[in-house]
Amino acid sequence: MSLIIRNIQIISPGSPLHGITEIGIDQHTFVDPTELTNAAEIDGKFGWLVPGLIDLRINLREPGLEHKGTIASETRAAVAGGVTSVVATPITDPVVDSPADVRLVLERARESGRCRVFPTAMLSQGGEGNHLSEMAALIDAGCVALAQGNRPFSSRKIELNALKYAQSLGIRVILDSESRDFAEGCAHAGQIGTGLGLSLNSSLSETLGLAADLELVDATGVSAHFSRITTGASVARIREAKAKGLQITCDVTLAHLLYSERALADLDPNFHLERPLRTEDDRLALIAGVADGTVDLIVSDHSPHETGAKLAPFPETERGMSLVEGVIQLLLQLDQKGELEFEQSISAMTVKAAQVANQQQLGSVQHGHPADCVLFDPNGSTAFDAIHWLSAGTNSPLFGQTLPGRVIGCWINGQCVTT
Amino acid sequence: MHGPAALQLTPDGRLKHLLTTEGLPKSLITEVLDTAETFLSSQGQPVKKVPLLRGKTVVNLFFENSTRTRTTFDIAAHRLSADVVTLDIRTSSASKGETLFDTLKNLEAMQADLFVVRHSAGGAPFFIADRVTPDIAVINAGDGAHAHPTQALLDLMTIRKHKGDPANLSVAIVGDLKHSRVARSLVHGLRGMGCPDIRAIAPGTLLPTDLEHLGVHTFHQIDDGLRNVDVVVLLRLQKERMSNALLPSEREFFNLYGMTESRLRCAKNNAIVMHPGPINRGVEIANEVADGPQAVILDQVTNGIAIRMAVMAMTLSTQQGSHS
Repeated sequence: MSLIIRNIQIISPGSPLHGITEIGIDQHTFVDPTELTNAAEIDGKFGWLVPGLIDLRINLREPGLEHKGTIASETRAAVAGGVTSVVATPITDPVVDSPADVRLVLERARESGRCRVFPTAMLSQGGEGNHLSEMAALIDAGCVALAQGNRPFSSRKIELNALKYAQSLGIRVILDSESRDFAEGCAHAGQIGTGLGLSLNSSLSETLGLAADLELVDATGVSAHFSRITTGASVARIREAKAKGLQITCDVTLAHLLYSERALADLDPNFHLERPLRTEDDRLALIAGVADGTVDLIVSDHSPHETGAKLAPFPETERGMSLVEGVIQLLLQLDQKGELEFEQSISAMTVKAAQVANQQQLGSVQHGHPADCVLFDPNGSTAFDAIHWLSAGTNSPLFGQTLPGRVIGCWINGQCVTT
Repeated sequence: MHGPAALQLTPDGRLKHLLTTEGLPKSLITEVLDTAETFLSSQGQPVKKVPLLRGKTVVNLFFENSTRTRTTFDIAAHRLSADVVTLDIRTSSASKGETLFDTLKNLEAMQADLFVVRHSAGGAPFFIADRVTPDIAVINAGDGAHAHPTQALLDLMTIRKHKGDPANLSVAIVGDLKHSRVARSLVHGLRGMGCPDIRAIAPGTLLPTDLEHLGVHTFHQIDDGLRNVDVVVLLRLQKERMSNALLPSEREFFNLYGMTESRLRCAKNNAIVMHPGPINRGVEIANEVADGPQAVILDQVTNGIAIRMAVMAMTLSTQQGSHS
């Protein structure tokens, strides 16, 4: 089937088609519309055509945590937020650490997934940080990278071995830098957490963890991606390391671009996250980091939970936020608030994410590339409520909000996946 | 804004729950203190019995150890003629796997009128008032390191009685502020009353981060911190602070920060010494100060019953008003 979408503005940073007003889709790929005959036509009504977003960090919860979400429910939610490819964390129950687990995730994604699913697996067996996982077999089974998740290595020595081994096989590692000694606490050690008497997590936990991890990455030469940095100090440290020539990338979660510690003032458990929301200065430094390219990617860190997981006093609730369903609208909101240009945030969730996920054919609207794209009306709006919510995770701060922008249609591999 | 500070007040500013002293206006704090004083006899002792809460059921929900606070809430409720049920949750439903949510829903179905809640998690009473049983008055009897508002109010009552309006006073708080809900609530209460000079005296390991944002001046040297203060509030030092490597020993703490007669002379001549109890003699306070004329520690205990009577009466009257 072939299709021409006219009256659009293509927003695809780095692509020769950026700014062009029409595109053709032939079967599975983008083509020049003049090459098509008898194609169906869509009037884009001056909306934006964006490459399908790539989310490098999402918790799909399957296998084992289906009461929180499934590959079916969470990929459906992702598509609603303009996300057409997701890189799944290995934090399931059990964790993904064997080729069989990887195949199971891929199988379930084929059966019930609504978007592209790229698995990752743990760097250590069981995520326990003691024994190296079968890294080569995991990559063969279909992993795009290996990750540490939220589980620390039992020692820096074992971490060093894991990174060395990964380096020798040419595997990219995704690290969550945190010094366990300082990492306890449900709130940033700042004004709000102090006032509420919550257990505190100091910025030092990340500063120290990142410094040590950077040394290990430098020593091994492994290709490393630092996930979920939260402080201005980390942005500065990454900037320095890149200037020194280290082959590293990093990401920030959308929540850390949108909210600061102030969001905790009302003790809304939706803001109880694995990495605490930091100060307003940190938030602005993270945004500046995305704008100047120090921070490569934006991720949703989508973490769906069942209602009961958040039905307790703040410190006793489970951590994470269900957010993927509003990703593209939230990026537009950041632009409209004058904080981060849409083109920059789109770049951080498309062409740059494709590089890190090793899927260079994705993330860019170009002739001959797989036709993954979102037709987006920037003048429309989307209202979020519990009734129309697609994610199984009810832990979202978006309920009751109306955000700018509306997804008109979403195509993956040339197929329309929105109804 | 929908945090504890907002939730505890009705739109017209009356006390619906007592969750925190943060954001309580001076007029309302003054009303609580004035009401508490009406429950004291001319000798300064709480009146023995008034029929204000006859037919009401007060449930003490203690998810965390407490003897003193629980006893004073018990006595206060009995003196107001309420029926009192005390649940030691640690040994009942929680051990059977029932969630906090379900335990409270059950108590609501039993038609309780007021919950007095102590919990180790900061924000637990707020969670109960906000999400679980919004129609039942909730009084926070201590939640994690967050708040202990009735303790702060009884401290304010004691300060006002002995030293007058806090708006003209200097108050020093000495000891483990980092882990202290008492200190947080007192700071908010003092700020609400317009106290211009609040000081914290402790080593760096026992001071919370960003205390200056709460309007508190910090001191590491006790003599500097005590200079010309009207009120000295000592905090209890928990044994586990040594095992957590926050302090080397009780002996060293006493040598550096213990309240002795000679140190007390740095404060104003007639300064009062307060302590939320139970006191550790020879750790936070020397015998001669604990038993001396400037200590008002037992007066605090007496005032505590009157304050709890006042808060119960006020919150229940607000809830009753909203139902009729």
